[in-house]
Amino acid sequence: MRALEPWVVQPLETFLAESAARLTLLMTSSGQVVAQHGFSRSLDVMTAAALGAGIVASTDELARLMGGAGFEALVHHGQRQSCMLAAFATPRGRWIGLVVFGPETSVGIVRLFFDQMIGQLAAAAPREQPSAPMLAENFETELDASLKALFGR
Amino acid sequence: MTEDIRALTARMADEPGSLAFLELAEALRRRGQLEAAYKVARGGVSRYPGLADAHDLMARVLSDQGDLAGAFDAWSSALQLDPMRTSALKGIAFLYFRAGDRAAALTHLERALEVDPDDPTIPQAISRLGTEAPAAPVPPPVESRPLPTPVSSAPAARGTQDLFEQLEGGGQGLLLVDGNGLRLGGRLTGADGDAMGDRVAAQLAGVSREAARATRLLGLGSWHSIALESPDAHLVLAQPTSDTVLLASRDPSMPMGRVTLLAERAARAARAWLEVEG
Amino acid sequence: MTATQTSLDRVTRVAGVRGALIVSAADGLVVAEQLMDGVDGQAAAALTGSLVGRLARTAESAGLRPPVFVHLRGEAGSVLAAPGPDDLVLVAVVGPEANLGLARLEMIEAAGRLA
Repeated sequence: MRALEPWVVQPLETFLAESAARLTLLMTSSGQVVAQHGFSRSLDVMTAAALGAGIVASTDELARLMGGAGFEALVHHGQRQSCMLAAFATPRGRWIGLVVFGPETSVGIVRLFFDQMIGQLAAAAPREQPSAPMLAENFETELDASLKALFGR
Repeated sequence: MTEDIRALTARMADEPGSLAFLELAEALRRRGQLEAAYKVARGGVSRYPGLADAHDLMARVLSDQGDLAGAFDAWSSALQLDPMRTSALKGIAFLYFRAGDRAAALTHLERALEVDPDDPTIPQAISRLGTEAPAAPVPPPVESRPLPTPVSSAPAARGTQDLFEQLEGGGQGLLLVDGNGLRLGGRLTGADGDAMGDRVAAQLAGVSREAARATRLLGLGSWHSIALESPDAHLVLAQPTSDTVLLASRDPSMPMGRVTLLAERAARAARAWLEVEG
Repeated sequence: MTATQTSLDRVTRVAGVRGALIVSAADGLVVAEQLMDGVDGQAAAALTGSLVGRLARTAESAGLRPPVFVHLRGEAGSVLAAPGPDDLVLVAVVGPEANLGLARLEMIEAAGRLA
């Protein structure tokens, strides 16, 4: 398990231990990765983050069209593994969680401990720091540095 | 034979508390009507729990039905009530022989021979085990002699042979498991005599953790026990220490409350043993 | 009143029962519930579904048929579970003073009628 922000580590470790999730990705609503567990390639992380953010954005729009406030979580059941996508509020803005799990656990357990993690993240987050304006040349460097941190290199 | 059964059934109907259940169940068993024999024997055991004959009878019925674990428990109960009961000693010897444990079978047959040197079937059984029958020993002194410690048919950890020895049924149907799912003591055999303790122990590894999590998150404190009713057995799980689990398994004819008491006693024995061995 | 609600009613009327719910065991999700304040249905469904599944696997490894009743006893109360058909489980959260014998009977009967 790797995280860019140290305060994310404990809540995420607790979630992983309780839920038995196989893969987990925490990202901002724009797809910037905050923490990951279980991925072996940076390309997979980037792809999953982009796709996950896109799916949540699409379903948000769908909910808006239906006159609702948005979906709490999306669960896709597969034969060998399933996937949950959930957007949630944090002191650092709106984040998205992508969790892949197998038959050794259940969607009920995953959701139960995901909700607990949200509460723990909210309690652990430091006060909002003013962010420096993002320059194009900084972006790639930052992304590269983030990926290296997420893969322990 | 049919007339006997009819007469005995009529007698039971007139006097439900009669000891005629012993003859009736035995007659039904010999005719192969095992289900009916079981029902009569079960009624008799519940009405006369202190009668060794009743437990001996139940053991024979269960043995014929293929419930060897249940038969072992019942013969053990008979022996606890009557330590000199040769039919129970022979029965348990037979079960050990079926399980492939000749040493334990021989131990019990030799004990039976001490109690009843005139029973010709015992030397025959001993010779069948492939060992020469010993010369008829001097009759034992009046004071009761302790039963030899049965040798477990499954490999046991060091010093576990006496872990549950003092309990009803010995270590059969009792399992002590550590936090990694490894068996520390006791044994569990299936109806076909296969040892399944290690397989079950592996499954129990996560049960304690899940139970603790469930009671904690539901505001029920720490967990104390789990009682599980299957059509085939009553199981009780207890927690002798924070990183061990104890399983007690008994025939469903044994009331769950009694299985729970057995589990509690076994947990106390396990705690005492762990303090010495751990 | 549906059969499901009738089943939950009968169980929650037993003294000491703080809540009853019907759970999809494999998913750990609530199908129907009747809970007093303070009983977390989502947690009860997820945790009991998971525990019952694990205990069923334990019974299977011992060569036994699946359980028909489970009683998890804690210091301050118990969780009772009666598996029914189609992977549904009737679950009750009870206090230490609950009439366990009656709760068990009602639950086993009600679980058999779940569909």
